[in-house]
Amino acid sequence: MSTVTNDPIRAYIVSEFLAGEDAEDLTDDFDLIESTVVNSLGLVRLISWISETYGIPVDDIPLEPAAYRTLADIRGFVGRAAPAGV
Amino acid sequence: MAAEKAPDTYGITAPYADELNDDITHWDRVGEFPHDKWKPLQRSGLFTLPFAPEYGGAGRTLTETMAALEGLGHTSRDAGLNFSASTQIVSVGIPLQAFGSEDLRGRYLPQVTSGEAITAHAITEPSHGSDVMNIRTTAVREGDEYVLNGGKMFITNAPVAGLFLLYVRTGKPGAFGLSTFLAERDTPGLTVGEPLETMGLRTSPISEVTLEDVRLPVGNRLGSEGAGFLIMDYVMKREVLFSFAVNLGEMAHRLKRVVEHATTRQQFGSAIGKNQAVAHKIADMRIAVETARKWLYDTGLKVEQGKDASLDVAATKIVVSEANQLTARHAIQIFGARGYLTGTGIERELRNATAGSIYSGTNEIQRNCIAALMGL
Ligand SMILES: Cc1cc2nc3c(=O)[nH]c(=O)nc-3n(C[C@H](O)[C@H](O)[C@H](O)COP(=O)(O)OP(=O)(O)OC[C@H]3O[C@@H](n4cnc5c(N)ncnc54)[C@H](O)[C@@H]3O)c2cc1C
Repeated sequence: MSTVTNDPIRAYIVSEFLAGEDAEDLTDDFDLIESTVVNSLGLVRLISWISETYGIPVDDIPLEPAAYRTLADIRGFVGRAAPAGV
Repeated sequence: MAAEKAPDTYGITAPYADELNDDITHWDRVGEFPHDKWKPLQRSGLFTLPFAPEYGGAGRTLTETMAALEGLGHTSRDAGLNFSASTQIVSVGIPLQAFGSEDLRGRYLPQVTSGEAITAHAITEPSHGSDVMNIRTTAVREGDEYVLNGGKMFITNAPVAGLFLLYVRTGKPGAFGLSTFLAERDTPGLTVGEPLETMGLRTSPISEVTLEDVRLPVGNRLGSEGAGFLIMDYVMKREVLFSFAVNLGEMAHRLKRVVEHATTRQQFGSAIGKNQAVAHKIADMRIAVETARKWLYDTGLKVEQGKDASLDVAATKIVVSEANQLTARHAIQIFGARGYLTGTGIERELRNATAGSIYSGTNEIQRNCIAALMGL
């Protein structure tokens, strides 16, 4: 699966959780949770970043594992919930 | 002083002051849950506040609920009972309302809002306190049921609770390895230990809970499998705001007593408050109370508005728990030997305040959390 290079969510995860390395492996369907790229505190940070960046109230962000497995999953719910779209 | 945001909920427990404050020293000494004092709390409507009307709730906001709990802290000198009351609101009711299925909410929320079922939440284990992501109690799915095994420790309200929210492992350690289940007290295999004797909050009973092949229907799970950590994060934010709002009320009352004492107690021909060393302590107490108030209601409003408040909640927890301990220590010093006597109730407040830096995530863990959120 191709990787969207100018994807802000991908850029955020690379800079925050992969220490800025250009992570080739981080494709749209890479499992962020299984791979422990995003840990529990990381998840709290990710949720707050999404909330701020896309203007989605924290309470409207899904609290279920399936929403965070992959970049595609995250982009999916952000696209549905963000007032301005992604 | 009533909270600015919601003055109408602040006073709801005030009419019950006499019942709530009856024989406080006795109850603290015997260290038992005062069942009779639960009743005025039920009558006051305190337990209904943040819940939807269809479940017997009053539909009030987060900050309105905080104001009522602050009012409780100001009215009631039984900090153990106050802590049990805020646990009642937050441990099962709040997550049930936010994440429970329609069926679970319909069956259990009315019992929670009426206060008929006392509630507890079980996260901590003997081997895993701060290291909560690695808890060992497991739930294994078998068909339409989960089978739970393990043990929980330090569970507030457990000795008197009818409903338990259990946080257990359904996956590998990590962000999505935990799930949350609702269990009734008489579920076979669920055993509640004897109340543990404690330093403070002695009327808030605490004990172990063991789970041996406890079978729960899949429908008793809150949220999806693996959502336990996110549910816990949601609940902990409210737990901090509610239980430490109680402490704000307790501190405000303490400050009033100290001012009264410092202006009336005479030594060397004048009120002891005329001494700068005493007056400065009282000024510091005032600053601690007002700082706690600002953090609590500022953070409360942020959470209410659905804004990110992870760092704010951690800071609030630290600020208020440390303010509570500082003001309790100063109060004893200013009351002198009278503060050291059990009968005046001043020393009890220091014992009660001690646990605040430990429960709801220790202050060290909160500082770790703030550091991590800052990218350190
Ligand atoms: C009054 C009271 C009520 C409670 N009610 C409940 C309840 O209702 N439900 C429930 O599940 N639990 C409850 N608890 C338990 C409480 O949540 C735990 O005590 C708390 O999480 C700390 O765990 P611990 O006691 O095992 O201490 P430990 O985790 O063993 O920590 C001991 C000390 O080491 C420090 N420490 C540990 N790890 C680190 C680190 N990484 N960095 C820096 N310092 C560290 C801690 O801050 C602490 O000072 C209650 C506790 C009390 C005192």
